[in-house]
Amino acid sequence: MPISRRQFIKRSAGAVSVTVVLPKLWLADALAQSNNPARRIFVVIQLAGGVDGLNTVVPYTNSRYRSLRPTLAFPDTELKDAQGNSTILTSDFGLHPSLSAIKSLYDAGRVAIVHGVGYPNPNLSHFLSMDIWHTANPIGGQGDGWLGKYADLNLLGQSGLSAVSVGNSLPKSLFGDKVVVPNISPAGGTNRFVNYNYITDGRHQGDRNNRLNTFRESNSRSFEPDSFIAALANTGLDALDGAQQVQDSVSRYSSTITYPIGTAGNINNLAIAMQMVAQLITTIPGANLFYVNLGGFDHHSQEIGNTRAEGQLATLLRYYSEAVKAFYDDMVEHGLVDNVLMMQWSEFGRRPNENASRGTDHGTAAPMMVIGNPVRGGLYGEHPSLETLDLDRAGNLKFTVDFRAVYATILDKWLGADSQAILGERYEDVGFLG
Amino acid sequence: MASLSYDEAAHLLRRMGFGGTTGEIEELASKGREGAVDYLVNYNQIDNKPLEDLLAQSFDFSDITDNQKLNNAEIRRWWYTRLVHTRRQFEEKMTLFWHNHFATSSSKVQDFYMYLQNLTLRANALPRFDDLLLKMAQDPAMILWLDSRTNVVGRPNENFGRELMELFTMGINDVVTGQPNYTEDDVKEVARAFTGWDFNQNRRDGGLNVQFVIRQNLHDNTTKTVFAGTPYAATGNLNGTDIIDILSDRPQTARYLSKKLLDFFVFPVTASNSDRNLIDRFANVYLNNNHSIKALVTAIFTSDEFFSDRARFALVKQPVEYIVGAVRMLRGSFIPGSNLGEGRRQVSNTLSIFGRSMGQDLFGPPDVAGWDFNLGWVNTASMLERFNYANAYISNRNTTNPGLFITNDELKKNTKGTSKKTVKKFLKALGPLDPGSDVVKMLRSYLETDDSGNKVKFVNDDLTVDKKVRGLVHQIMCLPEFQLN
Repeated sequence: MPISRRQFIKRSAGAVSVTVVLPKLWLADALAQSNNPARRIFVVIQLAGGVDGLNTVVPYTNSRYRSLRPTLAFPDTELKDAQGNSTILTSDFGLHPSLSAIKSLYDAGRVAIVHGVGYPNPNLSHFLSMDIWHTANPIGGQGDGWLGKYADLNLLGQSGLSAVSVGNSLPKSLFGDKVVVPNISPAGGTNRFVNYNYITDGRHQGDRNNRLNTFRESNSRSFEPDSFIAALANTGLDALDGAQQVQDSVSRYSSTITYPIGTAGNINNLAIAMQMVAQLITTIPGANLFYVNLGGFDHHSQEIGNTRAEGQLATLLRYYSEAVKAFYDDMVEHGLVDNVLMMQWSEFGRRPNENASRGTDHGTAAPMMVIGNPVRGGLYGEHPSLETLDLDRAGNLKFTVDFRAVYATILDKWLGADSQAILGERYEDVGFLG
Repeated sequence: MASLSYDEAAHLLRRMGFGGTTGEIEELASKGREGAVDYLVNYNQIDNKPLEDLLAQSFDFSDITDNQKLNNAEIRRWWYTRLVHTRRQFEEKMTLFWHNHFATSSSKVQDFYMYLQNLTLRANALPRFDDLLLKMAQDPAMILWLDSRTNVVGRPNENFGRELMELFTMGINDVVTGQPNYTEDDVKEVARAFTGWDFNQNRRDGGLNVQFVIRQNLHDNTTKTVFAGTPYAATGNLNGTDIIDILSDRPQTARYLSKKLLDFFVFPVTASNSDRNLIDRFANVYLNNNHSIKALVTAIFTSDEFFSDRARFALVKQPVEYIVGAVRMLRGSFIPGSNLGEGRRQVSNTLSIFGRSMGQDLFGPPDVAGWDFNLGWVNTASMLERFNYANAYISNRNTTNPGLFITNDELKKNTKGTSKKTVKKFLKALGPLDPGSDVVKMLRSYLETDDSGNKVKFVNDDLTVDKKVRGLVHQIMCLPEFQLN
């Protein structure tokens, strides 16, 4: 969690930003260019809090699974959605009943599930473990983010908006040395981007240009490198430029897909974020790297409701599943579905043995999902053993696939990057990309 | 007694509070360094009746379970009303520090428990750290937030025990030596010591009576061993209070807390030897004064380091500092509105909505580690929100409805006969800021440019105040210098 001041400053005061003005030509041709077959879009979906992997990809025939979880374990008879559609994948594994939309994509060969993903000497702190995943550095989670490093190497110098995080704040995965990735927080109302603009006094709109000029001039001064004030001025200017570009672009988005945003009290924030990503993807042809998240998976208690198919985990997994499906369908509609890869992760899974409060404590290895037309669907890796002797001292799973191997596979096979330069080592190709 | 210059007094008030008018700063400066800190720290002696009256007119929390009157929006409006209108600025700042330290969020915990926790934090903000820790371990919001209720004998839930050590007391590693402070086994043992800690709630007198209890049948009464093989080792039938006694007396806790206070109130602490010595110096104040927070913060705020060049404008303003500071420094107005009585109510949630958009949702920190400070506040979206808050502040001319505004009359008090004097006066009021002669020139040029971009002479009249002086405040609030504290 703690980042050294030095690193932090370097990140934000970087010399070059991806948020520069988009050439007019691109704006005009955006939609025409949108099905460029070479375009490779990558969307990271972080499910924060530690998703219960064993109740997400369920080893329903495993007797140890049932004995470790007398209350929480799904029997095969419950692996079906509310309409009665089975969510069973194979003779050994099924998906949580809330994941029926993901199941439909799995059946179409669009979902790769990697079992047992983790890293050596697992850390059970949310923050440290998240940092380890963000930085791909299992020793303390220090340094830049893995996607920040990718952006520094591969996106630097690109004109136009190339990477965006949609959420409350920029995730550490996107911290780089040279590239500053903007974060956009969703607004309420129909235009989720409405606040992403520099607003001036409506009573004196004639003075707007004077204010914009003064703003630009006063924030364009040079400051001591690596200082807070330099980062503030640079980010302020980026904010103004990026806002103008986003406003110009996203207004041209249209779609017949209805995102499952929900109603007050039951808002699917992931669906909102993924629709915003779709708006950016379909109107800004150079925008290819996205990050969204859904939190709340820390189910120490009341993980299930009155039935196992209900409750907190069920609700959040449904949000995830439905948001992914709507976004996928939207990409189909825009002719971009072959250009998009999604990757889901969480900082850890949960303990195989349920606790006394119908919940689960912090665990270790868990499945990851990689979704999209580019993947070779199916199950990858070996599921960790649930036998007592195979668990670690805390009673947690031993990982079978290093998360950095999943990153490496995507970096090398999808993003055209050099995974070794970014991750520091070579990792085995997990095989889910052709 | 050390003297206190105007700039030093402004620095002190921005850090111990949120800033004030030039008159308030001059008055504070006249007290000298120790006198000013003493005045701000002993806030219980400051008459706060205007705030109490305003709260009584604006909020009805007599039945905390009435979610028409006490809810997500209302507790935030309540805190912002305090922040803007209190005379006891350090009470609010210290409560904010503890809210970040014991970061609990209404995303998981009901709003009335969040409200009660805030009352507990402010009531225990300055005495012994042990007492505050114990109050937090017994606090309903904390019990729900970190699942203490489900931490029972035979089935311990480690959530609270882990965060107690990782975030509330020592940190994973000693902040000075880098040595690990505890093991995974310690987490398990500490969790067992807190088994059965819970609370009862009864409806009484139209309100909710919350009472902490230790459920003996759910408490693990067997032997626990913590910190084995270290000077802090303890073994026996330890309970949560025993653990808190051990933790609050460990030098690692003193150092962690000192570092956190320095990072929050003074400057970002580095790993240099001199900074490690500084942490140790203040850690000793804590250890030698019976774990008194008041003694510790008084030592920090009267130190030469606090007033050093390195500390001046060394922090990025937290959103709540940006929001509240701009109102207090210029004598802007925030009318909170009232939820008293039945029927349609007019209230303003504008401050809390902007705070959340800028990345600081009071009562809703992102996670149990609290907010990420300094550049953690800085991204393109949150910066736009700052600029747009500044614009909202100066654009609202409705002075009767609940909301945020500043009147032309207040702006006229700082508006002078020339553009140069006007710019300098507003830079002083909003800091004092010293962005250099180039910026003064830019801002003067702004005041002297008409809608067509032509240079015109600055005249101190109503239209100029309504258009250009409001625009000047907007532009000063957009300066990178104003983002610093």
